[in-house]
Amino acid sequence: MSRTHRGWQGAAAFGATLALVLTACGSNGGDSSGNGEPSGDPVTGGTLVYLEHQPHDTLYPPAAGFYPNGGLVNNITDRLVYQNPETLEFEPWIATDWEVNEDATQYTFDLRSDVTFSDGSALDAEVVAANFDLYGLGDPDRALTVSEAVNNYASSEVVDADTVVFNFSAPAPGFLQATSTINSGLVSASTLEGAFEDFGPGNGQNVIGSGPFVITAEEIGTSVTLGAREDYAWAPASRENQGRAYVDEVQVTVTPEDSVRVGALTSGQADVIRYVEAQDEAQVAGAGLEIYAPQTRGVNNSLSLRFTNPILSDIRVRQALIAGIDRQEVVDTIYTENYPLATSSLSSTALGYENLEDYYAFDPERAADLLDEAGWTLGADGIREKDGQSLTLVVNEAAPQPRSFEALTLISQQLAEIGVDLQILRADAGTYTEAIQDAGQVQIYHSMVGRADLDVIKSQYYSTNRNTLLNRDPATDTIADPELEALLEAVASEADGDTRIANSQAVQTYLAENAYVIPLFEEPQVFGSQTDVAGFSFESVGRPSFYEVWLDR
Amino acid sequence: MTAEAPTDVRVPDGAPTPGAPRTRGSGAVGRSTPPTGGGRVVALLTGYVPRRLGQALIVLWIAFTAAFVLLQALPGDAIMIRFENPELGLSPEQIADIRASYGVDDPVLIQYLHTFAGFVRGDFGYSVQSGTPVQQLIAEAFPQTLVLAAAGFVLAVLLAFAIAFLSASASFAWIRTALRSVPSLFVSVPVFWLGIVLIQSFSFRLGWVAVINPGPVEGLILPVLTLAVPIAAPIAQILTRSIDEVYTQPFVRVVQAKGASPSWVLWRNVLKNATLPTLTMAGILFGELIGGAVVTETVFGRSGIGRITEQAVAHQDTPVLQAVVLLAATAFVLINLAVDLIYPKLDPRLARQVGASR
Repeated sequence: MSRTHRGWQGAAAFGATLALVLTACGSNGGDSSGNGEPSGDPVTGGTLVYLEHQPHDTLYPPAAGFYPNGGLVNNITDRLVYQNPETLEFEPWIATDWEVNEDATQYTFDLRSDVTFSDGSALDAEVVAANFDLYGLGDPDRALTVSEAVNNYASSEVVDADTVVFNFSAPAPGFLQATSTINSGLVSASTLEGAFEDFGPGNGQNVIGSGPFVITAEEIGTSVTLGAREDYAWAPASRENQGRAYVDEVQVTVTPEDSVRVGALTSGQADVIRYVEAQDEAQVAGAGLEIYAPQTRGVNNSLSLRFTNPILSDIRVRQALIAGIDRQEVVDTIYTENYPLATSSLSSTALGYENLEDYYAFDPERAADLLDEAGWTLGADGIREKDGQSLTLVVNEAAPQPRSFEALTLISQQLAEIGVDLQILRADAGTYTEAIQDAGQVQIYHSMVGRADLDVIKSQYYSTNRNTLLNRDPATDTIADPELEALLEAVASEADGDTRIANSQAVQTYLAENAYVIPLFEEPQVFGSQTDVAGFSFESVGRPSFYEVWLDR
Repeated sequence: MTAEAPTDVRVPDGAPTPGAPRTRGSGAVGRSTPPTGGGRVVALLTGYVPRRLGQALIVLWIAFTAAFVLLQALPGDAIMIRFENPELGLSPEQIADIRASYGVDDPVLIQYLHTFAGFVRGDFGYSVQSGTPVQQLIAEAFPQTLVLAAAGFVLAVLLAFAIAFLSASASFAWIRTALRSVPSLFVSVPVFWLGIVLIQSFSFRLGWVAVINPGPVEGLILPVLTLAVPIAAPIAQILTRSIDEVYTQPFVRVVQAKGASPSWVLWRNVLKNATLPTLTMAGILFGELIGGAVVTETVFGRSGIGRITEQAVAHQDTPVLQAVVLLAATAFVLINLAVDLIYPKLDPRLARQVGASR
């Protein structure tokens, strides 16, 4: 029978070193790469058939957060620093060593001198500086955006061929981790000259990285072929493979239809598939195949309660919503054991996590009392009302999140029990994008964000980042809760590691105390795989790495 | 005058009507005396075809303008969807800079003229979602869809004729009723469901054809079947009904009385008359092919115009949608032109009107 890998699910120990302890059997690189199934020495050769859910839309690394993009960028580019997905520690990769000044406003990196891009050009300090100048500052004329992970970037200095210095206008403690993410994938000088269009589908072969794979063929919207780079020899030291990738080729084929993806896997036409929906896991497991569910280790899949809306401005209403939702039932009914119940706004596998589950207990009686207290009385139709207004709230269907509509439908039924009418917004992209920016239209925002750095909580809630609470009103640019702003700024601007953790925990506590957020579950990325595919691993937020994959057949 | 005759005479129910004196004319019976052939060709080339082309251009311009207006009227725009997406975490200033660089907030008329001038030059711009040039997207996808649509259409017509023949011929009277119910069964089958059922049974269970990374021909088998069945059905319905109708015509009895064999009657007399309404229907059904391609290509993971359309609609990718609308309008115009030109070949009465009015 199949085993279920639940990467990194388990207790996270926080000390000075922030070591994460892996309890379940790991599925990522390092010494566990064989992880029990096919054993013996890796075999070189063969083609891995990998089915994607959606086509990629760009290979510009700062926009690689979209999983189809990230799955490619992670395999065609290297990063300055390697964040070990097991320990979340930073290890040398393209940078052999680094130095950070006292207040985290200056970073110095020493680089390897033997690394080349796949077009033969050298990966030196010059090109590294150019990469971060673009990722840190963006270029609106070319529609190239700033990387969300790089904050307060000011300038770069090339000291010599293998030394580069980055300067920041304010402390940027998250920068080291930022250099390890796919959003900071290093590309060649020729690639950096391109505009947004040049990173688009159809132009993949011209996006040049130094990674273990190169894009050798592409059919727009349908398939991308990754070929192994024969001369690749600069993997992070902790990876078992130090040479070229084991497989010759990875055939990435887009198969949007869920049942076709799963059927292709169970019938043996595909080796690995991304995005096995919760309801299909049993079918994959039942066929004796592997399921991998790496965690995304950031802000949990959650509902942001937009407290600037008049109804939700009353904390008792927000607390009532939290107490009125049986989150355990949602997880048990809609999802599987790979989707652990959330106990804070951050995932238990995220850095800085603090267990705050007491704030999120299910208690329908308390919910009803709170609403009574707030003056919302039950109307004839079972919906509460106050001053002639009914207690109707709108939540968005988060299309990128797994089974968002199903989960929200169940939540809507649960809330109906306490007299709250929850409507689910499903709309075309234009209407949707406008509506989610307006607390008058969407009062409850369903979303998540994965990144293995303390900055992640700022990404989600800060006024000029994702702003999911609409703490900054997009219409007037006013900040409703300056205290939350200050707490979030403190996370991203404190140089000291322990203080940053404390600051992140302060945000989580603040969000819980003020009932701003209803965390639902810790979101995984679920993959299905044949049993003879060995060495399949993931970077720190669940993007696949094909580097150590080999076929035991 | 001359040029418009074929369009004007096109009667949806093109089978000869009872009492129309021409019905008994030689044309309908198949011994057509061709009208003055050379003159007609000249007439077509000097008057008819150029005028139709002119009309086609106007139709395309209207389609382009209507698409532009409708896309502008939709809430939001592609830049907003692409860059104001909270997932990118951009600040309001960064978004404003990008909006300015795309010129999306220029006056609508300026944008219209700019886009129109681009289209006239053959420059369709770039996809906002992915940044890929629209020409490249269309150029890669169109041949794929064309092959799929053409093969699907041919198969649909073959299927339709097979069904119609079998149900019309006396020797198969025993399965006649059964066959007649087949079209309505096919019509009610959703393409989506059919595609999945075909994949599940022929690919996943029986393993006869691969769905993932198949060969070029192998990859066509199931999608073509999926596409053909729902289109074959209405064609077959019209065809069987027309055949029935034509059989009731007096001229059929005349031919039969003259001693023609049943197959002669069917092939030379009935079918020729019954094909006209079917042809009209087939032209209209071409639109279904485009709709069917969206579903078929998505289910089978094929690249093509359907997939592009689906993606572009999802992201309100205006430049791509604009080009797709124009492409679809062009296809319709061409198909209609072809249908109108084929009519006189099938029914010389229509052709003679061209000649007669000269």
